[in-house]
Amino acid sequence: MSSADLMGEGLNLMLFGMGFVFVFLTMLVIVTSFMSRIVQATQPEQPQTTGGNNMPATPITGAADPASDPVLLGIIGDAIKQHRIKQGRS
Amino acid sequence: MDKLLSLWYGSGIYNLTFGQTTMIVIGFLLLYLAIRRNFEPLLLVPIGFGGIVANIPEAGLAYSAVEQMANMASNAQLAELASVLGAPVESAKQLITAYHNAPSAVQAAAEHLAADSGYNNGMLYQFYNVAIASGVAPLVIFMGVGAMTDFGPLLANPKTLFLGAAAQFGIFTTVIGALALTSFGLMDFSVAQAAAIGIIGGADGPTAIYVSSMLAPELLGAIAVAAYSYMALVPLIQPPIMRALTTEQERQIEMSQLRPVSQREKIIFPLVLLVLVALLLPDAAPLLGMFCFGNLMRECGVVDRLSDTAQNALINTVTIFLGLSVGSKLVADKFLQAETLGILALGIVAFCVGTAAGVLMAKLLNRFSSTPINPLIGSAGVSAVPMAARVSNKVGLEANPHNFLLMHAMGPNVAGVIGSAVAAGVMIKYVTGG
Repeated sequence: MSSADLMGEGLNLMLFGMGFVFVFLTMLVIVTSFMSRIVQATQPEQPQTTGGNNMPATPITGAADPASDPVLLGIIGDAIKQHRIKQGRS
Repeated sequence: MDKLLSLWYGSGIYNLTFGQTTMIVIGFLLLYLAIRRNFEPLLLVPIGFGGIVANIPEAGLAYSAVEQMANMASNAQLAELASVLGAPVESAKQLITAYHNAPSAVQAAAEHLAADSGYNNGMLYQFYNVAIASGVAPLVIFMGVGAMTDFGPLLANPKTLFLGAAAQFGIFTTVIGALALTSFGLMDFSVAQAAAIGIIGGADGPTAIYVSSMLAPELLGAIAVAAYSYMALVPLIQPPIMRALTTEQERQIEMSQLRPVSQREKIIFPLVLLVLVALLLPDAAPLLGMFCFGNLMRECGVVDRLSDTAQNALINTVTIFLGLSVGSKLVADKFLQAETLGILALGIVAFCVGTAAGVLMAKLLNRFSSTPINPLIGSAGVSAVPMAARVSNKVGLEANPHNFLLMHAMGPNVAGVIGSAVAAGVMIKYVTGG
């Protein structure tokens, strides 16, 4: 393959690839927003009554109740650990 | 005396080549970075150790039975192997290339011959075949990552998916960079190899390993090492770029609190994603399918035991074998090449471009969005969960001590995982399907 062909191939891949990634994620944004709207509309007052018996009273979300968010807790835990390691070293 | 000599000829010191010594030193360096500097230790400890073990002379742990036979057998056995492969007996290297290029029936015949002559596949070679060549390990890890991911912040602000898309720009610029190096005659990468190198910019270890195992297994060692080392360097690479592309005022922007997201939305989201993948990009189905499955187990609330296994015991087990298998690709004749330096250089370009594209996209979104968006969260679009989100948070706090961006940055961060898996699917489709 000549070098011009090769660069052309690369540009093609870039246009095709970035284009597709954007199309895909745009679709995902649209579908997700649509889905959220439907769920919120069909689930008005007490969102957790159907959720099972040992569900917490508030919805499990990252933003509303940070204390029960495992991701956030994990991150905070890691941050503390790293901080301690750094403190110990310096 | 003869016995003593044969012991000496069989010893490691006698057989150690320069390449092997260098690779063992590199293995120790990786272990040092992991243990002392805390660079992605979960991956770099097994990779570094695997790299050392793979280069032990005479043991041939990273080689298949046929490769071992070609390297170590007597002349009579070599002649036999050559006749099976239909190649001239000149050097071990030629025999091995002939073996790799042979049709599978001939390969099987060569394997039987090697087995009959008493050669076995090396331990690391077996691990590699089971874990990576089959594609299993990266996919199981992706399932675990899905089980650890909370899509709450993303669902509360779906616009952040665009940031995850923009950051994939780094992947494709790197592909062009690799091809440019080739057309200037500096390196020699095929399109498939360039695509596999580009995926380093996805900042996502399992995705990078999955793609390179499919498109360019010969570069897998260098690509995995580059991907994981640069992920560890995210806190050093990203902040200067983020500061250069934003103004002080932009960094101080406070974002409105995320709305609560119901459990039902979180259960439906992975299913929506799966359907979209099925409809639009079946090539990304292995990666995103496992990811969605892991996330569904986490959110549905009825299979906590499975979700717990996926995000703890299973992912840890698989990580051990994945790391050792990657280490098996750090053998001297496959790793010590000019291309490896090219890969390391291109990898860092990929990270920088991805970060910049994410930040610029966030600035663009901020201009058109009704709610304010701090451009700093854009850099989190290059996956590297959760390191990149922490970096956004940290740089944000420097500008405004009351501005906690962590949860806002988690949105683009997990969007980046989806984005790089989609990009991986596109590349596989483009390169293999045409």
